[in-house]
Amino acid sequence: MEKLIEELKQHLIEELNLEDITPADIDAEAPLFGDGLGLDSIDALEIILILEKNYGVRLANSAEAKPVFYSVKTLAEYVMQHRQ
Amino acid sequence: MGCYIERVVCEREVTHDAKELIPDPAMRRRMSRVVKMGVMTAVECMGGVEHIDRLDTLVTATGWGCLADSERFLRTLIVEREQLLNPTPFIQSTFNTVGGQVALLRHNHCYNVTYVHRGHSFEDALLDARLRMLDGDGKEVLVGAFDEQTPSQHRIMGRMGLFRRVQDGEGAVFVKLTTTQRDGVVAELTTLDFPTEPLDETSCRARYATTDRTALVWNDYAEAGCYPTASAHAFARAVRMLSAEVPEVVVYHSYMGSTPTVIVVRWVGSLV
Repeated sequence: MEKLIEELKQHLIEELNLEDITPADIDAEAPLFGDGLGLDSIDALEIILILEKNYGVRLANSAEAKPVFYSVKTLAEYVMQHRQ
Repeated sequence: MGCYIERVVCEREVTHDAKELIPDPAMRRRMSRVVKMGVMTAVECMGGVEHIDRLDTLVTATGWGCLADSERFLRTLIVEREQLLNPTPFIQSTFNTVGGQVALLRHNHCYNVTYVHRGHSFEDALLDARLRMLDGDGKEVLVGAFDEQTPSQHRIMGRMGLFRRVQDGEGAVFVKLTTTQRDGVVAELTTLDFPTEPLDETSCRARYATTDRTALVWNDYAEAGCYPTASAHAFARAVRMLSAEVPEVVVYHSYMGSTPTVIVVRWVGSLV
C-alpha cells in the first residue's frame, strides 16, 4: 500500500506538472481537490487516465468518483481493490 | 486617430519570473512552452498582470499555433488508438490559447481575437487593432505574435529545403498601442499596407519613405530566425532603431515569398 501511495504521488506530480512539489509534500490523507493540492475538474480527467493507463482501473460509475478521488490514500485503496 | 506605440517587448526581454507574471499555479502548470512564452511576454509588455484590466482590445497572431501541444495530442491519438486522451494538450493546442490565457489572468472579457494567416498573421492582427482604434472601439490595445519550433516541424520543413538560406526560428513579441500621444509613447504606426506584388528596395523606399533618413528593415530574420510571425520581431527592431537620426523605419516582409507586407513606424520626437 505504501509503495502504491508513493507511486501515485509520483504520477500526480508528473502528469499534472505540479510545480515545486515533491512526493514528501503531498499528505496522502489530505484532500486533492479544493483546499489540499487545489486540483480541479480537468485534473480529475487526468487522474482518470492515470488510473486507467497505469493500473487498468476504470471507474464503474461517476457517483463513485467523489469518495475515490478524495485523497491519494482513497485512490490507492480503490486501485488495490480494482487493479487488473 | 493616431496609433501610438507605448511599448514593444520580445520574449528574450522578459525579466520577471513566471510566478510573478502568471500568479495562478494551476494556469502556469498547464501551459506549454509557447503559451508560457506568449503570456509572459504579453504581461511583461503590459507592465504587470494587474494592468491587463485596462485593455479593451487584445489581438494575437500566430502562423503555426501551439505546435508542441498539437503534436502531443495527435501522437496520443495514434498511440492510444483514439482512447485515453489527455484533455490538457487538446485544450491548450488551439490557436487562441495565448489570447485566452492572457484574458483569463484577470477575467478581462474584452474584444479578443486571434489571426492565423500564415506569413502575415501579425500584420492582420495589427490591421484589426488599428481599425478598432479608428472606429473608436479600441483605446488600450495589446497586439502580439508568437510561434514555436518543435523537432518535428524543424525536421519536416528542413527536408523541404526551407532552411537552406535562413535559420529556423521562433519567438513572441507583444506591442502595447494607444490612441493617445501621452508620456511613454515611443513611436507612431503610420502605415500598414499589403502590396499586391513584391517590391524591390528602391520601389519600397519610393512608395513609403517620407524622409531621406528613413531606414529599411528588409525580410529581417537576424534576431529570431525564420518563422511565420518573424515580422513582429522585425517590427520590434524597427521601433528600437528610431531616433532623431533615424526618424522613420519601413519594415518590408514577405515570409517564404508569400504576400508582402509593409509597416512604417515613425519616431514621435520627429512629430514635435
